[in-house]
Amino acid sequence: MTQSVNKLTAILNAKAPYSNAAGKDALDITLIFGSFEQSTSLFFQGDGVWQLIQGQDGNIISVKDYLKTFSAFEFYDIDNIYICQESLIERGLAADFHIEQVQVLAKKEFADKLATHHTILRF
Amino acid sequence: MPTLHIVRQSAFNSDDFAQCIQVLRDNDVIVFIDDGCYNLHHKLINSIDSEANIQLNVIGKHAQARGIKIDEKLFSVINMNNLVELTLTTSRVITWQ
Repeated sequence: MTQSVNKLTAILNAKAPYSNAAGKDALDITLIFGSFEQSTSLFFQGDGVWQLIQGQDGNIISVKDYLKTFSAFEFYDIDNIYICQESLIERGLAADFHIEQVQVLAKKEFADKLATHHTILRF
Repeated sequence: MPTLHIVRQSAFNSDDFAQCIQVLRDNDVIVFIDDGCYNLHHKLINSIDSEANIQLNVIGKHAQARGIKIDEKLFSVINMNNLVELTLTTSRVITWQ
């Protein structure tokens, strides 16, 4: 007999968007999980918070701008997007994001929310 | 329901361990492995709340290979089999690399 458990997956983004492929890889796996209707949340911490900041354009430095695809999250039912407030403050960034449904969480709430997930993949 | 944190990078070279500490919760378990063993010498170790009951482990051979002395009053020395066991006895795993 198989037991069906709806496992929650967290994708923890910790890298800035353009210096390596981590952010794009995280996006790809997020959309794959979304396509298969897996419950997935996105977390942004450390330099990962730069991925959500308004006004970026990778085309200027000849990098494919995957950040625009973030606006597709709602079509994949990916509504749980959390960003670490402490990481924003450390970088002097305002909570001004290029997608809408981002929730800013203080350090403890961020840790508690992360711990509600069964699987955590960090990029 | 503890989380197992596998720390693979030196805090002298990356922010990974600092980010790990940001999300630590009571009774979590840390394993220092590969270059993560250098964190035994990093001041961030002292910022871990001593009342949070965080279990600190280090892969003995990895520390030994790097010439890192282990204070066994603070850190438990484990091997790879112990690490596998920890993945089974904790609720979730985060690899900081």
